[in-house]
Amino acid sequence: MSNKVLVQELRRVVGEANVIDSDVHLQLYQYDAYLEERRPDAVVFVHSTEEVSRVLKLCHAHGVPSVPRGGGTNLSGGTIPFKGGVVLEMIRMNRLLEVDKGNLRARVQPGMFNLELGQALAPLGYQYLPDPASQKAATLGGNVAENSGGPHCFKYGVTTNHVAGMTVVLSDGEIVELGGMAPDTPGYDLTGVFVGSEGTFGVCTEVVVRIVRQAEGVKTMLAIYDSIEKGSETVSAIVAAGMVPATLEMMDQLVIHAVEKSLACGLPLDCATVLIIEVDGLKDDLEEQTEAIVRLCMEHGAREVRVAKDEAERALLWAGRRGAFGAVARITPSYLVCDGTVPRTTLPLVLKKVAEVGEKYDLKIPNVFHAGDGNLHPLILFDWRDAEQKARVMKAGMEILELCVQLGGTISGEHGVGLEKMDAMHLILSAEDIQAQLKVKRAFDPADLANPGKIFPAAQEVSHAQ
Amino acid sequence: MPSDLAVLRERLAARVGEENVTADGAPYAVDGMVPALVVRPGTQHEVSEVVAACAEARAALVPWGGGTAMAMGNPPRRLDVVVRLERLDRVVEFDPDNLCITVEAGMPLGRLQALVAERRERLPLDPPDADRVTLGGLVAANQSGPCRLLHGTARDWVLGLRVVLPDGTRIHCGGRVIKNVSGYDMNKLFIQSFGTLGIITEVTVKLLPMPVCRATVLGAFTGFAEAAAVLEEVQASFLLPEALELLDPAAADLLQPVLGLASRGTFTLVAGFSGSQSTVDRQVRDLEAMVASRAGHAKTFREAESDQAWTAITNVQGGGAPDPKRVVCQLAVPIARTASMLASARTRAAAQGLAATVTAHAGSGLVCAALLPGDDLTEAGALAGLAAVTEALREEAVGVGGSLVLLQAPPRFKARVEAWGKPGSSFATMRRIKAEFDPQDLCSPGRFLGGM
Repeated sequence: MSNKVLVQELRRVVGEANVIDSDVHLQLYQYDAYLEERRPDAVVFVHSTEEVSRVLKLCHAHGVPSVPRGGGTNLSGGTIPFKGGVVLEMIRMNRLLEVDKGNLRARVQPGMFNLELGQALAPLGYQYLPDPASQKAATLGGNVAENSGGPHCFKYGVTTNHVAGMTVVLSDGEIVELGGMAPDTPGYDLTGVFVGSEGTFGVCTEVVVRIVRQAEGVKTMLAIYDSIEKGSETVSAIVAAGMVPATLEMMDQLVIHAVEKSLACGLPLDCATVLIIEVDGLKDDLEEQTEAIVRLCMEHGAREVRVAKDEAERALLWAGRRGAFGAVARITPSYLVCDGTVPRTTLPLVLKKVAEVGEKYDLKIPNVFHAGDGNLHPLILFDWRDAEQKARVMKAGMEILELCVQLGGTISGEHGVGLEKMDAMHLILSAEDIQAQLKVKRAFDPADLANPGKIFPAAQEVSHAQ
Repeated sequence: MPSDLAVLRERLAARVGEENVTADGAPYAVDGMVPALVVRPGTQHEVSEVVAACAEARAALVPWGGGTAMAMGNPPRRLDVVVRLERLDRVVEFDPDNLCITVEAGMPLGRLQALVAERRERLPLDPPDADRVTLGGLVAANQSGPCRLLHGTARDWVLGLRVVLPDGTRIHCGGRVIKNVSGYDMNKLFIQSFGTLGIITEVTVKLLPMPVCRATVLGAFTGFAEAAAVLEEVQASFLLPEALELLDPAAADLLQPVLGLASRGTFTLVAGFSGSQSTVDRQVRDLEAMVASRAGHAKTFREAESDQAWTAITNVQGGGAPDPKRVVCQLAVPIARTASMLASARTRAAAQGLAATVTAHAGSGLVCAALLPGDDLTEAGALAGLAAVTEALREEAVGVGGSLVLLQAPPRFKARVEAWGKPGSSFATMRRIKAEFDPQDLCSPGRFLGGM
């Protein structure tokens, strides 16, 4: 079907104003926070589950692929319309449908920003725990698609641990309910399977999330070190002492410099690393936990430990971490974020090896990492206009992923495979493992129209796999 | 035994040894259906060979761990071979520094707990029959217990699995890191797949540090309303109980020898707390005050006594041992409806003249009702009465967006009342998954939702 006919048909379904197809507009939808670009044939603004269903029925009838798009913050190319077709702009489906305190659930539309949900729940004394660093601009639908993490995963888990159900539209337009308000829905746990499927199973149009009471108290600390190893050792010592902090986050010197340049949070420029530690829960033992942690930090070579005295100081400690990616973006034309994960105790080793990779390829690699859960984010800095440099960056990125796998880890902790890591999948999955995953893909999307061309190595596309 | 099964027997014996194949299937009957062969592979590789041989012979198989979930589900459509996993009980790797352990699927949960306790760690999953339930069975049947309130279920603790697919292919899912989005989350597909997509052979779980302090507070009330009011008050408070159980008078009386309650016939709310001394003390204090304010009688157990109380409470419904004299069903409802669902189960059973023991994971939306007809269900009338109560409860649970699942029931009862209830709008997708993985329909055929 020609683009013109497709656009006409789409306009018939959702109205003239809700389809855009001009070159300028389409250009805005050809990229996300990864490094590739591909232009869609049309962008459709959707407003309801039924409308998504009608659009997908039309696409299905004509064999047109589609990709849902939330905040476009995806770091692995998940929202790039790799095979053209339709981008479903989900951002207008952004309402909080219901907060049910008694049942500890909220019903939300996928276009709502993660932070907006937090802000709506806070005055009620409740919270939704997953809070990826991009929460200002990342939508809940995108969080579901990518199984997003964030800085609280060591204690509270990732998105999948907090999604109880959803409404999804499959690529043939069929509307399907997964999970729900009650626990342990009989049958396969399709909610669990759908979360993290990167838009390749269908479009999520409504989410039932778990909410919890806000913690009675919280204490945030910042420990400053002259060596990264000492910081990592402290993390292991805290865990070995039987404590489960909500947050254990680290940033290295290059990141600290970038953060100070753009946010001026008062971090020392001459240290090797800072470790942000947060404990939360009942207020009765927070002082004693804080004291124990400060002691452990000092025993393991911290130069100084700052304990936030009030909410303003806490916000300042967090501002640096939450703003880290943005701050780094100000000191370099582009960067590639790696997302490898390793068993926590191997962090010092993997960081040393990441530095060696940087030297080998003559690249600057600042590091931000979730030290509690072993998820590291080396940021490889480069200039996208320099093709030779970009090629070196890609090689360095792949080498870092290989390192993570060799140390017992994996290639992606929270950013997804998308287009970026398709060729790294063979590092962790056998041909049989991949075939098994493709069986699930075919069960959800037999026509291969839901975000096609992602996740799996190119040679193993759905239609060829048997 | 049909001649092709005789051939299969020889093939299996060649792979796992004559002593590990038997035709004495009676002890491993599933809902009265006796398998022609029972086989005990000794390694994950042997499981794969056994499953491949069954696939080639088109023999239907059911995996069998500790046998604690064998009373669940619909009767199998066919059953030729039971594959026992008891010989797969080794530790593959224990990494206490990273709070993670990998074991073979036949490892009993109790043994795993004892092992990791040596390093002051634990897996916070506590289904009944911990000494019998295996890790593979726990995952396949998604079994859980009281402390799911704070810690969740298998889906929150499983990091990785190895699985033998219905054609004998071996795959692995996930890994041993806490965050992992490298491809689809295949762990979730096999958790609660009930043996219909293959056989789980290895399980990797994350662990938690052992808490410094444990305590259990019982609140005994003469009236249901008071117990329910305190339950609500706890849920709205800052308290973070690990478990919150509501016991009806029949269950409380069964537990009397262990709990030593002051009077019989009370509705009893039980809260489990763990953590530092100061947080546990504060929570015990707060809950005792809430109980007293509603004219309840509070009693507190600490440390080892607290553990003993929980073992008894967890197993009060009799665990998974099939009993022809009982029908046990689990009702899942939105959390706020848990207490009223418990009350309703009691009322409906009483109206039919049935004795019942009803308990609830009160903060988690799960009610367990054991209905006792008093004879062995040979009377058509008794069967009809039981079925009527069960169907009415199912209708009530479904009406609020929940479900009723049979945990235990004699086959005669299952012929009248479906084990899982009616499938929803996602069933077509589930069937496509089953067809992709098991096109010959050989793995636990018919036992799951909708006869899948």
